[in-house]
Amino acid sequence: MISTLVRSPRVAVLLPALLAALGGCKGQGGCTTEYCGTVVFAASGEPSSLLPAVSTQAIERDVFDQVFLKLADIGPDGGTFGDSGFTPELARSWEWTDPLTLTFHLDPRPRWQDGPPVTAADVAFTFDVYRDSIVGSQDREALAHIASVTATDSLTVVFKFRDRYPEMFYDATYHMRILPAHLLRNVARATWQTAPFGRAPIGAGPYRFVSWTPGQSIELAADSTYFLGRPHLRRLIWRFAGNLNNAVTMVLAGEADAVEVLVTPANIAKAKADSALTLYPYPGSTYNFVRFNLRANGDRSKPHPVFADPQTRRALVLALDRPQMVQAVFAGNAKIPPGPMPQLWSWLWKSQLTPAPFDTLEAVRLLRGRHLSFHLAVPSTSPTRVQYAQLLQEQYRRLGVTVVIDQVDNATLEQQLESGKFDAAMESFQTDPAPSSSVPALWSRSGPTNWGHYANDHFDALMKTAASAPTRAAAQAAWEQAFAALDQDPPCIILYALDNIAAVNRRVADVRIQPDSWWGLVRTWRIPPSQLTERDRAGR
Amino acid sequence: MLAWLLRRIAASLAIVFVTVSLTFFAIHLAPGRPFMPPDERPMNPIVVHRLEQIYGLDRPLAVQYVRYFGALARGEMGESFSQRRPVAHAIADAVPNTLLLTATALVIDFTLGILIGLFQAARARRRSDVALANVTLFFYSLPTFWLALVLQLVCALWLGWFPTGGPTDPVMHASLPLLGRLGDRLYHLVLPALTLGLVGAGGTARFQRAALLEALGHDYIRTARAKGLAESAVLVRHAWRDALLPVISLAGVALPFLLTGAVLIETVFSWPGLGKLAADAISARDYPLVLGTTLLATCAVVLGSLVADLLTVAADPRVRVTA
Repeated sequence: MISTLVRSPRVAVLLPALLAALGGCKGQGGCTTEYCGTVVFAASGEPSSLLPAVSTQAIERDVFDQVFLKLADIGPDGGTFGDSGFTPELARSWEWTDPLTLTFHLDPRPRWQDGPPVTAADVAFTFDVYRDSIVGSQDREALAHIASVTATDSLTVVFKFRDRYPEMFYDATYHMRILPAHLLRNVARATWQTAPFGRAPIGAGPYRFVSWTPGQSIELAADSTYFLGRPHLRRLIWRFAGNLNNAVTMVLAGEADAVEVLVTPANIAKAKADSALTLYPYPGSTYNFVRFNLRANGDRSKPHPVFADPQTRRALVLALDRPQMVQAVFAGNAKIPPGPMPQLWSWLWKSQLTPAPFDTLEAVRLLRGRHLSFHLAVPSTSPTRVQYAQLLQEQYRRLGVTVVIDQVDNATLEQQLESGKFDAAMESFQTDPAPSSSVPALWSRSGPTNWGHYANDHFDALMKTAASAPTRAAAQAAWEQAFAALDQDPPCIILYALDNIAAVNRRVADVRIQPDSWWGLVRTWRIPPSQLTERDRAGR
Repeated sequence: MLAWLLRRIAASLAIVFVTVSLTFFAIHLAPGRPFMPPDERPMNPIVVHRLEQIYGLDRPLAVQYVRYFGALARGEMGESFSQRRPVAHAIADAVPNTLLLTATALVIDFTLGILIGLFQAARARRRSDVALANVTLFFYSLPTFWLALVLQLVCALWLGWFPTGGPTDPVMHASLPLLGRLGDRLYHLVLPALTLGLVGAGGTARFQRAALLEALGHDYIRTARAKGLAESAVLVRHAWRDALLPVISLAGVALPFLLTGAVLIETVFSWPGLGKLAADAISARDYPLVLGTTLLATCAVVLGSLVADLLTVAADPRVRVTA
């Protein structure tokens, strides 16, 4: 009896609950309706700031996407072409006045959580902030095609573009969360990175900011007056676990309700075996690769002795048994992308493209009997990538290629990449929903993070064609051609794209995961009254 | 005595200055750069450059050094890159958590360690002494993070007796009455404090046993026994007082631990203390935060050492004369 009591109820709250009973309860509220649930997210990291314009981390996006709204958001199909599929948020409707002019009509209902209504002036102010180089927003470059944003009246805002391309609407809506001008106008732009507003934000979204206990948690509360419908979950809490393993442990122990990714087969197996959890697979937004440095290690003026040769790079791609590696490390819970793409771009994934085959004979022919040697920088904080590096080292050893694995921390790896002091590096890249912004950033000649100095004019031209394709079908065909060109002259070895699997407590219903912003749809989640626990009813 | 004290304080200040200076250059010259997001979205180099300007990292190192100590003289420790708030605020949030954890651990460590040491010395070379010697040796030689993981797995995950981590329950804590909130704090404290305390107690017990056995061999103990004192009185009132001196020294050395914390334990149990703060700051190359935590740790070490010296002087008249 005692052992059952101890084991079964996940008694993480047993003692406090007992003490609460002893000391008399406070703030419990006895909530029993559809709007009572509390969901705790186990987060691997902690935000630095919740001010969207200066955010850099996924965890920050997870939280502020509940507090701030866009003009419109990408629909469930993830389409970024034109405006089809986009769902209105702050904008009630929009129209193209001419090919370069997009007019948004704002919904008159939304109000900032401190009272004033959301106006077109807020939208114009937000654009001005995101484009201000002094603020230093990560999304500044993504808005470079937009020449101006002007408020013509309190509910109408006009976007003028510099040129015409298929993802104009996506650029106008996806990158910016609209900010309250009345609260931020007087904050000096040079101090936005450390603005106190970033630690106690006020938005117009479905949830209000409640508290941030550094090192512990952030709490949001549902805004019952939210103009698009009252969220079902009353409280959202992000609990900072410090790392993925701790986050998964918290969910398995019943101390948190959801974790966005499980990553390792061991975590997936444990979560599968836990009857309190439901697993939700969804397409991931990252892919992992080994980047080649085409310039000499530490000397950008000279070609790299190994990787300057396209045939050698292709040989190194063909020499790897990538399906076997995926099986060994992820027990099949990952896929080999047919190009530099995450599973998120499913429409592109469904194309005719196939990953380069495992062909040691061709690899040996291309290597022409040369004995190669290079260093591979691997982030020491990622056990899966270290394991991958070891498998890669062993497979290359059989072909007479010596790989020296350098395990370095992330900060060092980033510096090595930026300064060109590396031969090859194992990396992971989180993409946007649109290939047209994510692919060129890494692999075009002028890409800001083309650390390997890859230069392929043919590929660049094909990318340009793909990015300006008017329809998804045309873009798919153009990207296929571009990736085929990469296949012959590879800048990297594409290794895997994870099958993302989220684990959420079984009592939470209507769970939908948004691949580009995991908890973006949490306002639609609910906990049926019959499933409510004491923790769901507890309040401040 | 006053001159000795003033000399010790001056030496302490010099140690703090040299340590912070060395750390300043070491962290700036170490490989790696700040402003590296922990997830997989690389920072645009233009943004990184802008951030370097904002935080003054584009200035020569010597200028940064002078500016840092200038600010420090005004009582400012700078802004944390990774937390985007003043370093003093980040440290102020972490200090109470670390103090609570480490002070509890030290109480467990010394209470348990001294009691076991006393028990062993009273039964020296008997079976119970040998058994306890093996047990204390076992705990003393355990890596703390390993014990932490085992306790977490068994007591939190399998048995569900205690939470896996964190200092409070974020869902229930705010809704609990005062007594409940206190209970919640203690409940979350058990596993991390026990881990640190048990490992420390293993060492303290061995130390205490050896010191007591040495004290029990002295002439004045023979005299006390000859006077017909009970063995317990001999042990506690005569031998123990003498054997306490090395333990006091040990406590003095352990005092800085109150603030330097326990990096691994805080990481395993998601405990937001100074150790975890420092470790995170180092991996993020958050220079001001690294320097802030170093400054605090150095101050704690020199202060702990000073307090230990003062306690020794107070406890032993012979040392007082030398001082």
